[in-house]
Amino acid sequence: MKKNILGILGLFIFIFGFTAVSNENFLSAYNLQNLVKWSSLYAIMGIGVAFVIITGGIDLSIGSVIGLVASLMALMVRSEWNPTVAVLVLIALSVGIGLVHGLLVTKMKLQPFVVTLCGLLFYRGISRWTTDNQSMGYGDTETLNSFFSGKMAIGSFGLPAPFFFLVVVAILAGIFLNRTIWGRYLLALGNNEEGARYSGIGTDRLKITAYVICSFLAGLSGLLFAYELDSVQPAQTGEFYELYAIAAAVLGGCSLRGGQGTILGVIIAAAVIRLLRNSINLLGISTHLEYAIIGMVILCGVAADEIIKRVMARRRTAQVTSAKK
Amino acid sequence: MNKKLTLWTVTTALAVAVACSPKTSNEGSIAYVTNGIDPFWDLCAAGVHQAEAEFGVKCEIHMPTKGLADQKSILETLLAKGIKGIAVSPIDAENQTPFLNEAAKQTVLITHDADAPKSDRQLYIGTDNYKAGRALGQLIKAAIPDGGEVMIFVGRLEQLNARQRRQGVIDELLDRPHQTLGQVKFDEVAKVFKGDKYTVLDTRTDNFVMDTAKSNAEDAITKHPKLACMVGLFAYNPPRCLEAIKEAGKLGQIKVCGFDEQDDLLQAIKDGNAQGTISQQPWKYGYQSVRVLKALVDGDTSVIPDNRFIDVGYKIVTRENIDEFWAEKRKMAELGAQ
Amino acid sequence: MGDTQTPLLEVTALEKQFPGVRALHNVDLTLNRDEVLAVVGENGAGKSTLMKILAGVHTSDAGTIRIEGKETVIHSVRDAQAQGIALIHQELNLAGNLDIAANIFLGNEPHTAGFIDRGRIHAEAAGHLKRVGLNFPTDTLVADLTIGHQQLVEIAKALSVDARIIIMDEPTSSLSQTETENLFKVVHDLRSQGISIIYISHRLGEVMVLADRVVVLRDGENAGELADNQISHNAMVKLMVGRDLSQFYQRNATEPGSVVIEAENLRTPAHPRSGLSFSVREGEIVGVAGLVGAGRTELLQTLFGVTPAVGGTLKIDGKVIHPRTPLEAIQSGIVLAPEDRKQHGLILEMSVRENASLPRLRMDQKAGAIDFSAEIEVAAGMVEKMDIKTPGLEQVVQYLSGGNQQKMVLGKWLAMKPRLLLLDEPTRGIDVGSKQEIYRLMEELAAGGVAIMFVSSEMEEVLGMADRALVMHEGVITGELNRDQLSEEAVMQLATGNKAAA
Repeated sequence: MKKNILGILGLFIFIFGFTAVSNENFLSAYNLQNLVKWSSLYAIMGIGVAFVIITGGIDLSIGSVIGLVASLMALMVRSEWNPTVAVLVLIALSVGIGLVHGLLVTKMKLQPFVVTLCGLLFYRGISRWTTDNQSMGYGDTETLNSFFSGKMAIGSFGLPAPFFFLVVVAILAGIFLNRTIWGRYLLALGNNEEGARYSGIGTDRLKITAYVICSFLAGLSGLLFAYELDSVQPAQTGEFYELYAIAAAVLGGCSLRGGQGTILGVIIAAAVIRLLRNSINLLGISTHLEYAIIGMVILCGVAADEIIKRVMARRRTAQVTSAKK
Repeated sequence: MNKKLTLWTVTTALAVAVACSPKTSNEGSIAYVTNGIDPFWDLCAAGVHQAEAEFGVKCEIHMPTKGLADQKSILETLLAKGIKGIAVSPIDAENQTPFLNEAAKQTVLITHDADAPKSDRQLYIGTDNYKAGRALGQLIKAAIPDGGEVMIFVGRLEQLNARQRRQGVIDELLDRPHQTLGQVKFDEVAKVFKGDKYTVLDTRTDNFVMDTAKSNAEDAITKHPKLACMVGLFAYNPPRCLEAIKEAGKLGQIKVCGFDEQDDLLQAIKDGNAQGTISQQPWKYGYQSVRVLKALVDGDTSVIPDNRFIDVGYKIVTRENIDEFWAEKRKMAELGAQ
Repeated sequence: MGDTQTPLLEVTALEKQFPGVRALHNVDLTLNRDEVLAVVGENGAGKSTLMKILAGVHTSDAGTIRIEGKETVIHSVRDAQAQGIALIHQELNLAGNLDIAANIFLGNEPHTAGFIDRGRIHAEAAGHLKRVGLNFPTDTLVADLTIGHQQLVEIAKALSVDARIIIMDEPTSSLSQTETENLFKVVHDLRSQGISIIYISHRLGEVMVLADRVVVLRDGENAGELADNQISHNAMVKLMVGRDLSQFYQRNATEPGSVVIEAENLRTPAHPRSGLSFSVREGEIVGVAGLVGAGRTELLQTLFGVTPAVGGTLKIDGKVIHPRTPLEAIQSGIVLAPEDRKQHGLILEMSVRENASLPRLRMDQKAGAIDFSAEIEVAAGMVEKMDIKTPGLEQVVQYLSGGNQQKMVLGKWLAMKPRLLLLDEPTRGIDVGSKQEIYRLMEELAAGGVAIMFVSSEMEEVLGMADRALVMHEGVITGELNRDQLSEEAVMQLATGNKAAA
């Protein structure tokens, strides 16, 4: 698993170095701040979906949950809710959404793809309906604004708020996945759900937890995105973000078959995706090529991963055979 | 048992349908059909209401929510009940032409916002986006009279209106001769245009994704330290540019010019952070559509110009007339929401 | 037809290696014309691998295959079919939603321009059905047939592609007595029609009735061969295990202690109408015998909480329990080493350390945090105690041999100090050496007071290890045999539903 991170880290360093050499402004504080900000936003979503992917599931509703949370926040601000209460209510709503997904997947035995696809449509529809599909801003809630999208100056470098959120989320997620029994159970059940159940693991509860984490982080990203852009389009905010989140998770070493994934890998992968966009813009490559380049890089990254894995498996087999002789 | 269940289901479904049916289901002799739902169309609706009052006519407003098929079924329903006139913004003009021709046989048909030039519609109510683009170019010239680097941001360049606007801006900044709408020659996208004073760097697209729009703006500021003016061609572009400029600490240093009338942009114009905007005054679409339809239904064909094109024009909004314009927009937004 | 002296099929020096396991080494096999050849051997001896190579499912690493003296290469099922070799799998490969004729011609449909020639299919299918003695209309849905009849359809399918060699892999494992007898008749008929049969079975009694010659495999190598007049039960077993039976199974039953588990009218979801009543005492090893599908695995799964009981009572040490999940069963001291090790017993992609500690993590945690040093201790202790051959604790268990994997499964449960150990086919697919170790472990655990129930399809295992056997048939316990009543005949009588004979 360590090897997975090395591959993606190498890719990151390569693109970073290449762009830095090609464009003198790349290393400016302003640009790096932006890069850190967007990477953090994507990584938070990516970490969320990584948990679900580790269980062997998928969550397609992330973008719509982001849209819903962002839209409702704007509505609540407009109706003069206490901002703190509004944030708490929306976080609770996100957790509730994850809980419903988890229950439908485990207790009703519905396929995660179907459940979350319906979620994708449903939450988007609700966002548009409750807001009459009107674009909205967030007005002047200064405290929340600086909380979610402010900057903390360190010398001339302003670390953006999403970065601090990411640090907290990543540390907690890393500890959960690698240091607690539940993280171990999650990896076990992702590899082999029946096997985990036969080992006395309450697999349903863990899966539900994974969906809750995913939707919770989607909701958190919704607030972060909303305050970052300071405006919400109920029909568009967050659209397709689930695909970026899934791409980050997969590029970061999660297997869609489940059972594999590292938090650090996902963060680096999210950074790679944002870095690619940044360098496409800075190098003046046509924006029309952007998707093609991102798609290609992800494909190459995943393919390289698979090759490394096979080589390692072959080495292991050789090891075992020689150990026997 | 089964029958009872079916009956219940049908009744419930009907009840829900009635409860949810749009507020604009009022009967009218003519109809105004949009291409979707958007705040833009609400402003258009305001113009429809204005004209209804002025010309004493009832006009149904229909906003299809589910795309092409939805628009078609709305039109079919209108035709079936013998509506006298329809103004429509076709979603896919090319492929809808045969159907529009069918419709034109049964009723008075005009197009607004987007045209279907090959169809038998009576006329098209729209904006000369090339001219509007040139007006935007003049705004830019006023913003940076000494010249400098200019960058353009837009959702999609596949759309004709985006390309016409962009060409207008480039031609104006490079002091090229005027072109006629419909025969505009478009310049390549990935090219830098250097004029005597102005350089048009690049056009970045974002596919209507907000965060891409913002990071495009950020990256432009990073890449071009001497950037003098950012130009947003779609409504949401100028506010994204303004945010990026603000975070880079370059408010006022980099000028912003744009299209349309989002509140964030209007505020920036008022505060002096943006130079100005070109507004199509969406309510004019609605107003003109109703006026022309009413005349045609009453048999007055004198409203049809030779080129079958009615230009609703545009309004240049700057700090001088911002208060007046904003007040009008607010009024229209309220009227449209009714 | 060629020279009658040349064997129909001649395999020499065949080799096959799977990751971490040598499945076949230097294996020879000869099949003559008009012969029924039985291939026997314990689980994991390499029979199935050999047959799959002949049928083109696997490809050999080295060795030659000659058919009628001509060297041939078999790379795919199609190659094998072209050579006239057909394999009837243990699990039938029929499409239940299609009729008999469609199944017989599946993949080989006679057609004109893509349109299936229905008339021909049904006419020809009827002919093939006749050869296997099946009198059903060819448009009967396969799902409506019994297992025995479905098997005959498989054979008819083999005939439809002009098979000269039909390989039958454990064909009787789910057949009733009558169906088995009927199959024997068909096998004899086929031989008289010039078709050679390779017959694989665990049931040595059947082999004695049916085979013209017996080839014995052990741990992937040839262990010996028996001509018609040499075939006897003892001779076969001796070759299979490589020593006298009395040395192989070392069960020294002691006086059992108090009752550990007691089921009364326990009903499993698979057979909700039959109540099962039995008890197992401390230090007792109870075998559960029966045909495939008799409900043995389902019984163990219900005891382990995988498929919770739908009725009846279950007591452990006199206390009533209702395990609804494996977790609850484990907490009452019941553990299961499942039949499907790879699917249920282990997390294949995880390391020895992680697998070893999985059930114990909960007990060694500190506020949810994994106690890594305890984990390593548990794993290292297990590797040592169970004598698991692995390059290290971080080795992924996928790459361990079947025997070592099974030891891992047992080891992780033993660390939990269970009261009742359930074993489902504990020695399936593992080598003779590991097998003996597992028997030794069972013996040791029983001596330590653990109650053991094991399901086995291997008659020798039941006869050798069980103090007592419960025999099941179609979800019902048809009889209970004490050690002095245990014999292959007695078990088979009960297993095929003949209660009276017991």
